[in-house]
Amino acid sequence: MNVGTAHSEVNPNTRVMNSRGMWLSYTLSIGLLHLILLSIPFVSVPVVWTLTNMIHNLCMYLLLHTVKGTPFQTPDQGKARLLTHWEQMDYGVQFTASRKFLTVTPIVLYLLTSFYTKYDRVHFVVNTVSLLTVLIPKLPQLHGVRIFGINKY
Amino acid sequence: MAAGQQWVLVEMVQAFYEAPAYHLILEGILILWIVRLLFFSKTYKPHETYKLTEKEKEDLIEEWQPEPLVPPVSKDHPSLNYDVVTGPPSHKIIINGKECTNFASFNFLGLLDSDRVKDKALASLKKYGVGTCGPRGFYGTFDVHLELESRLAKFMRTEEAIIYSYGFATIASAIPAYSKRGDIIFVDEAACFSIQKGLQASRSFIKYFKHNDMEDLERLLKEQELEDQKNPRKARVTRKFIVVEGLYINTADVCPLPELVRLKYKYKVRIFLEESMSFGVLGEHGKGVTEHFGVNIDDIDLISANMENAVASIGGFCCGRSFVIDHQRLSGQGYCFSASLPPMLAAAAIEALSIMEEDPEIFSVLKRRCSQVHQALQGIPGLKLVGVPFSPALHLQLERSSGCRSSDLQLLRSIVDHCLDRHVALTVARYLEKEERFMPPPSIRVVVTVEQTDEDIQKAVSCIREAASIFLR
Repeated sequence: MNVGTAHSEVNPNTRVMNSRGMWLSYTLSIGLLHLILLSIPFVSVPVVWTLTNMIHNLCMYLLLHTVKGTPFQTPDQGKARLLTHWEQMDYGVQFTASRKFLTVTPIVLYLLTSFYTKYDRVHFVVNTVSLLTVLIPKLPQLHGVRIFGINKY
Repeated sequence: MAAGQQWVLVEMVQAFYEAPAYHLILEGILILWIVRLLFFSKTYKPHETYKLTEKEKEDLIEEWQPEPLVPPVSKDHPSLNYDVVTGPPSHKIIINGKECTNFASFNFLGLLDSDRVKDKALASLKKYGVGTCGPRGFYGTFDVHLELESRLAKFMRTEEAIIYSYGFATIASAIPAYSKRGDIIFVDEAACFSIQKGLQASRSFIKYFKHNDMEDLERLLKEQELEDQKNPRKARVTRKFIVVEGLYINTADVCPLPELVRLKYKYKVRIFLEESMSFGVLGEHGKGVTEHFGVNIDDIDLISANMENAVASIGGFCCGRSFVIDHQRLSGQGYCFSASLPPMLAAAAIEALSIMEEDPEIFSVLKRRCSQVHQALQGIPGLKLVGVPFSPALHLQLERSSGCRSSDLQLLRSIVDHCLDRHVALTVARYLEKEERFMPPPSIRVVVTVEQTDEDIQKAVSCIREAASIFLR
């Protein structure tokens, strides 16, 4: 797919999260995930909420902070080959609208989860660790940072 | 039912009142973080360029001196005084009104004037018109293009070939299609200008090795291997290429291909071979430097050549395995975004290929003439001959350079003028002085074609000798 032709966007990955309907579909898919987990019999409500939180954070970490590069060839000879999707968003500009939205949603989900798990200690530990794996890579200080060389190439 | 739900909610709110302090503190911090994000953060780009103060800006504006849009150039700059050719650049070429024997155009096999080629081109012109008015993907693919591609693939005994409409753009599009940022290319110092532009466009790491020096190349490859061992994860995503030419246009010698193939398999790099000068020249059937050395064509990953030399058409082609060539159909910039080759030139190229296939004798005739000219040009006092005996484009360099390139060029130009007056057309090898990475020394390029007779060669050699004795005291 030779990308920079039909529109002049060099790397369309940067504008994916700003596209029409993306935020709504994201929220709705979290709701759908929650509904599916709720339909599993013999699982209590706190466990379901913790599972929702964990699966959401796991998917977010894998898709935004692990997978690197683009699925298509870009005309800039592979500038974004070693960048994760979060780093590619809006060409690296920090605190744009999409970035703020994607930072706030895990926090809101965490607040809801801690309410529905009745502030239980075990659930607290699990959910907080999960939240931290998703919040810390989003800090601007960690832009392009690869700790211990993990996921560098 | 409603009472049951309300009962659960009361339990929830009760749990909130009994929540542990650390948890509520953490939640408070998170809510403050959200507030900060939403209301107190500004978008900015990290690694922003160094911000100049007002004073620094004023200083820079003060110091700036405007340069003229067109820099002053002397009136006798060679690019402003060019020789005008009237008529075709065939064996007898009319330069500035004088008919001369052509020792300058790359018409190695004499196919420029071939009646068969001209007839086929005229028939094609009548059938298709002149241009294609579109790139290959946009109704610019004609049956002649497909036929030429399949004929070239069959001729070179590879799986597939792809045609470009401009010879310079062939290798300059092929290299950046495969090699991107972070990849490593090992290239010979004497690589031609189109290769250099391709390397520049690829944005890869370029490592130059000394011309035809396989030990230097091996040293570079060994260093790279050591680095790869230190960082195997990086090595796994780095592609490595070697780019060489079959017959070098700047130095008229041949690359040591069997040695390169051995290095390829030892250090796991891919070879891109640029065969513009050797296609239709070297080898028993004109298949190029692979046939010349007896190397299996499957060992070379990509062969690129332009059809503007021996084939006497326009454009270029790349050939290799289908897996490799197909990639260029979407990623070769010169293929996707330029109008395709005019059909009459494609038809001319097909006919030229047919002539080359039917009559492989011409290659041995050319080889004989090359060695004849090479022999005859030896021992001219003041000039040294550079090139292998079977190269059709030889270089005559000054034995002793005056130290200044422009005066050397003027000296060579005066030799060429002398020969032009005696109806022998030669040319000084021209380069873009500011753009070349490694400037070759100034030289006169002597081209051998099959159409030159013994008398022509003798006359040319005596003219050059005469000129050298006059000007090079």
